[in-house]
Amino acid sequence: MSMLSEQNCSHCGISFRWKALKENGDDGSHTVFCCRGCQGAYRMICSAGLGNFYLRSDRAVPTVTESAAAQYSETDLSHHIVPEGDLCRIDILVGGISCPSCVWLLERMLARVPGVEYVSLSYSGGIASLRFNPETVAPQEIFSVIASLGYTPRPYSADQSEKEARRERDDLLLRFGTALFLTMQLMAYSYALYAGYFQGIGGAMKQFLQYVSLLVTTPVVFYCGWPFIAGAWRSLKTAAPGMDLLIAMGALSAWSYSVWATFAGQETYYESAAFIVTFVLIGRLLELSVRRRAMSGISSLYAAAPQRATLVCSANHPHPHPNLPFMPQRVLEGEGTKSSKTVAFDSLPPFQGEGRGGDGVHHRTVNVDDIRPGDLLLVRQGERFPVDCLIVEGETEVDQSLATGESQPVLLACGAEVRSGCVNVAAPVTVQALRPAGQSYLMRVAALVQMAQAGKPKLQQLADRVSGWFVPAVIILALLVCAVRLYYSGDSAGAAVMSALSVILIACPCAMGLAVPAAVLAACSRSASLGIILRGGDVIERLASINSALFDKTGTVTCGLPGVMHFDTYAGYDDATVLQAAATVEEQAAHPLARAIVQYAAVNGYQPELCQNFRSVPGRGISGVLSDGKEVLCGSEAFLRESGIPVTIKYQPDSSATAVLLAIDGLLAGRFLLVDQLREGARRVVSELVAEQMELALISGDNQITVDRIAADIGLVSALGEMTPDQKLDHVTTLLQQGRHVLMVGDGVNDAPALAAATVSCSLSGSSDIALENADVIITGDDLSRIATAYRISRATMTIIRQNLAWAFVYNLIGIPLAMTGLLTPVYAAVAMTASSLLVSLNSLRLMRFKHHG
Amino acid sequence: MDESLIILIVLSLCLGAGCWLIFIWAVKKGEFEDVEKPKHRMLDDD
Repeated sequence: MSMLSEQNCSHCGISFRWKALKENGDDGSHTVFCCRGCQGAYRMICSAGLGNFYLRSDRAVPTVTESAAAQYSETDLSHHIVPEGDLCRIDILVGGISCPSCVWLLERMLARVPGVEYVSLSYSGGIASLRFNPETVAPQEIFSVIASLGYTPRPYSADQSEKEARRERDDLLLRFGTALFLTMQLMAYSYALYAGYFQGIGGAMKQFLQYVSLLVTTPVVFYCGWPFIAGAWRSLKTAAPGMDLLIAMGALSAWSYSVWATFAGQETYYESAAFIVTFVLIGRLLELSVRRRAMSGISSLYAAAPQRATLVCSANHPHPHPNLPFMPQRVLEGEGTKSSKTVAFDSLPPFQGEGRGGDGVHHRTVNVDDIRPGDLLLVRQGERFPVDCLIVEGETEVDQSLATGESQPVLLACGAEVRSGCVNVAAPVTVQALRPAGQSYLMRVAALVQMAQAGKPKLQQLADRVSGWFVPAVIILALLVCAVRLYYSGDSAGAAVMSALSVILIACPCAMGLAVPAAVLAACSRSASLGIILRGGDVIERLASINSALFDKTGTVTCGLPGVMHFDTYAGYDDATVLQAAATVEEQAAHPLARAIVQYAAVNGYQPELCQNFRSVPGRGISGVLSDGKEVLCGSEAFLRESGIPVTIKYQPDSSATAVLLAIDGLLAGRFLLVDQLREGARRVVSELVAEQMELALISGDNQITVDRIAADIGLVSALGEMTPDQKLDHVTTLLQQGRHVLMVGDGVNDAPALAAATVSCSLSGSSDIALENADVIITGDDLSRIATAYRISRATMTIIRQNLAWAFVYNLIGIPLAMTGLLTPVYAAVAMTASSLLVSLNSLRLMRFKHHG
Repeated sequence: MDESLIILIVLSLCLGAGCWLIFIWAVKKGEFEDVEKPKHRMLDDD
């Protein structure tokens, strides 16, 4: 194939050399595309009447500037608007949110817009969820309100939010890295200047070093410290002093004082300016990594939902999309579907492969979004069910752990309903879609999680609470000093301003920037070595405030794996024969019940032997022949009865236990009763947390009897059974509304909404992705009592943080009067700063000695 | 004496700038893309 000449794609503008997809428009225009995706996008844009897009010169970099929030036309936005009764909902991704105060500001400002009924902004995702009256307010007006506050609004879609987070994190990382390199350089010059202060230094050399210091500090303050300066400006405009303002004030005053000092031949404070910025950037990076994970949580749910599905189109059901309302009976009977109504996108060339099965049955791969209720789908072994559906042909075992938390596969036959995301373990089945993908189980849970994250009340962080009153106090003090110098001491205006600046820069010590991060870092690394992963500093603060704890049952309090609770024998067989037979046959099966029996036999000293003619009936049982010719059947009561073995024994039906029966040569020989085993440390965590005056409850999707039994077993009074994901969420929200701070411990997808809503969420290392992503605390290993340790370590950390902050204030108490009188020269300021930073760090290191069981 | 000091300062600035460029390259390449995942990989079942 000869080399084709280079062409530019009409949609994406990329230059390519392969064979182009060509299209000639009615008006004689000629377009080329590099791929079908671009072609489809081009058609979509043009058919929406937005063809002018391609004429814009700036389209390569689609950005929203403050003035151009109206860039999103009504048609653009209408795709993102969801009608909800009389109102409409829109999700907006807001760029530039750096602290809980931003969230506060945006929520207040948006709520004031007439026509906006409800605003909720999730700090973690930076997503604003609005309900508004379309008759009173246009979405563009909402956009311009956000833009006028200095934030960038974009209509929300999952991918965009991730890109935004990535951009923000890279940005912060670059600023921090730059600050670190420059500050290290700066320190070399500063030490030379310190030495010069004591030993004497040539005037020219001192001047030179100060110029170089100015050179390296300026980018640190104005590039690396820009987020603080911008944040300070925002908080000045809204008259809400925050941490940003304190930092910007400190850095800017140190810098401007030093610039003046450089030219006036005085001592400089460049290193203070650079230090403050660098240390606080570390804190910001930690904070951002905490915020990042919450978003990936929702996307991991989307990942569990399959993107493609296999559509079954029979001769009676010729078209995949009958375009009819949901009428399952008609589809089943093959009526009413012969109409060859076409849907719009079918005019596009087919993107998906097409296959042909026997009996004139087509199998066609389609996108899950194109599945309509009533469609027939084939779900092969190992695939996930794409939508909520009904099994109409075949039977199989289904891993429903995503929906129920139960790890054992369940046998499902015709007529059974399966939720989206569950895994087909055993055999291919044909199913009928009940709901479209967007309304299926996984997406419903995703919506709940998102809602719970957005509705979460924000606890203002300690550092922000402190700076709320500290900043105004410092400003007032600085102004006072300035006034006193001017009117009473009769100093020049310049000198008075300089002394005011020095007050501000001393008031913003590194110790303050270090007080929280150092303690958090020590706590996180110590708890990690104890098998507890804490996701960031705010988690510690919230965990320390907990006064209620909820535990999921399956997989959390219990292992989610069965263990043999009871074993007996019949028909004269002894333990040895039955256990030996059970071990030998069950060794061949992979089922969790079989594993538990093999393990039980092994503990009692029976190892599996050779087994012949092994046969397995999914969901029923297994059979095999021992080396001595005995025929063994092992499985459910129904399996044995079906095989013609009389089951004469009667036993108390206990819904929490599973019975596995074993027959040798056609006679019932033994019975195993298996229950879900308690996790190690389950009793201990309950007793330790009760000792801390905490209210505990068990909350589970399992039946009430089982939940009650487990609760009683671990010493819990309160037990709630048969809870769906939204009921769990409701329970958590109710507790939160009562003013309680709730710790939720859970592991499954069904716990995810409750985990997202809880004050603090905790998962175990084996949990589902969505639970792990939403967890603030992760316990590695099996020991549940580490949760109590995590709580105690958070309490200890808060004590240390308070001590650190108290020390930073003592430093201020001594430093500010000295600065006011002009006695504090840079060298002593640097010594004091280093000493107090060291003290704070060493104090934080005390957390490293924290023990598991205190 | 003074000249050697000035040369050393300029040299150290150049070295620092070199490291800084490498750092920028690493950020752009995505080396710091996911510092959370690797430490959790040990928790995965497989």
